Amino acid sequence: MADIVYHTKFICVEEGTPSSLVRFMGAWTIENAQDIDDAMAATVAAIDKGAVLDCTALTGLDTTGAVMIRRFAAEIDKAGAAVLTGVSADYKELMELISSCPAPAATEPEHLPWFLAPIIHTGEAFMRANTSIARLLGFLGLVLSRFFGTLLSPGRIRLVPMVHQMEVAGLNAMGIVGLITFLIGAVMVNQGAIQLQKFGAELFVVDLLGITLLREMAPLLTAIIVAGRSGSAFTAQIGSMKLNEEVDAMRTLGMNPIDVLVLPRLMALMICLPLLTFYADIVGIAGGVLMAWAQLDISPANFIVYFRDVVSYDHYLAGLIKAPFFAMIIASCGCYQGLRVAGSADDLGMRTTKSVVQAIFLVIVLDAVFAIFFTSVGL
Amino acid sequence: MENTDHTDTIIQVRNLVNNFGDHSVHAGLNLDVKRGEILGVVGGSGAGKSVLLRTIIGLNKPTSGTVAINGRDQASLSQEEARKARREWGVLFQDGALFTSLTVGQNIKVPLREHFHLSDDLLDDIARSKVSMSGLSLDTCCKFPADLSGGMRKRAALARALALDPKILFLDEPTAGLDPIGAAAFDGLIRELTKSLGITVFLVTHDLDTLVRVCDRVAVLGDKKMLTVAPLKDVMKFDHPWIQDYFGGPRARAAGIN
Repeated sequence: MADIVYHTKFICVEEGTPSSLVRFMGAWTIENAQDIDDAMAATVAAIDKGAVLDCTALTGLDTTGAVMIRRFAAEIDKAGAAVLTGVSADYKELMELISSCPAPAATEPEHLPWFLAPIIHTGEAFMRANTSIARLLGFLGLVLSRFFGTLLSPGRIRLVPMVHQMEVAGLNAMGIVGLITFLIGAVMVNQGAIQLQKFGAELFVVDLLGITLLREMAPLLTAIIVAGRSGSAFTAQIGSMKLNEEVDAMRTLGMNPIDVLVLPRLMALMICLPLLTFYADIVGIAGGVLMAWAQLDISPANFIVYFRDVVSYDHYLAGLIKAPFFAMIIASCGCYQGLRVAGSADDLGMRTTKSVVQAIFLVIVLDAVFAIFFTSVGL
Repeated sequence: MENTDHTDTIIQVRNLVNNFGDHSVHAGLNLDVKRGEILGVVGGSGAGKSVLLRTIIGLNKPTSGTVAINGRDQASLSQEEARKARREWGVLFQDGALFTSLTVGQNIKVPLREHFHLSDDLLDDIARSKVSMSGLSLDTCCKFPADLSGGMRKRAALARALALDPKILFLDEPTAGLDPIGAAAFDGLIRELTKSLGITVFLVTHDLDTLVRVCDRVAVLGDKKMLTVAPLKDVMKFDHPWIQDYFGGPRARAAGIN
């Protein structure tokens, strides 16, 4: 009488000569897959030579079950020969479909060992940043050459999209730009006054506010807000057109995507950002004036008179002159990343993030360069 | 395979009404899909084929009427029952609708992971088997959907639709956008796979070749209801101007229908 060596709900191993008999029982379907798979190691351990795999007692089989039968057969084959018998007609086709064992192949993207990953990623990120900056410069050159070409023949300017972009990126940004600079102006006076009061020099908050706001804060804050608001919008708009092959369609219709998509946005931003900066100057100072009135009891009229005496026109100019350059960076980063979108929605999201980060980073770098430049020319 | 229900009809649609605002798409539509058959649904553009499919798979709530799958009214299921019921069907969307951030292999594993707790090794094996079942080479497993051609994407999506061993497979225009050779191969694949796996197929198509080569019966949607449901031969004899135009046109002749 054959000895039962191993027994579960789905598998029964009987010892015999020359080979063991493995009965598969019950429903071998995906619902029971884990139980059956867990029993595999024990089953294989219970067999020393080969085995006959008997499928007559199966009451259900699906592709997952067929895959598992194949896995059992492959495992048992390592110990000795495995012979499959008793496959009923119902399951024959299914078994044939699955029986050709696929060679092992990765189903997930490769994972690096943990200790190498940060090093490799850093290196890759550095190289990527390098090529990215080089490409961005190339793109900027391309845009500028088209830009000056367009300036020479103004008929090529696409006025309607440009005005639309001016409305969306400029006019509609007035609320948030105004709110933020107003608060920053007020906070600067508030904090500055607390420090300066210790020296009895609270009147100098006017110098403090005038110089920092006009030279640095207003242009920088406006640029950062616009980069977050419009730079990302540019990437998303152009990127989704790219995914939809609209940009390619444009090319085949003889339209240059730089002319149609990039230049209107670039010009709109170059016009709007200085205007927004000027507006931010006014609102920021208004915030400061109100705070000075409330906290230090400096009346607005006194504030303005003193402001006119101490804050020269140079400070205002040094701030405003930066705005068109910031605009150029924001628009070209946004459009460049948009045009580089390829493949999937994932890429679009990544590019949008990248465009904002890159634009803000470059704006701040350029601001630093301007600061050094202005100091050395004495502005 | 165990059939809890031995009746012949697997999907039963009764008095289905779908209105979108003032626009009526279905008015009292009835349809029976028999177990194990491949049913092709045709109809003019805007006839409501896709709406019908979306209603049956529960993505669109009908204005009135019932959809019963395996004899159970879909509207009466509890959330947990509905989740279980969804395991019984696979859906192939028109563009595949593969998750773009995952590889093909991971896409196939998504439904498996969602519904079962299986070991990684077994999951890999199942994913590979489904990929090769769908006629893709195994190195496709670790590619991303964006790297695949349209035909390969369809096959990968079919592999995902088959991941849970569904009893019913819904296909929305499976051959749209494929070249004739690719479409013919895909037709063959559907026929062969579903017959050997014993799956019922609900297939929405415009492709006359698919109708001829794959479908057991053809359902014609028109005038907001089912005009007729019958084998292709009988459908062609049906006296309705749209059907006569459809099967009498030059494209139908090219597909070998006359």
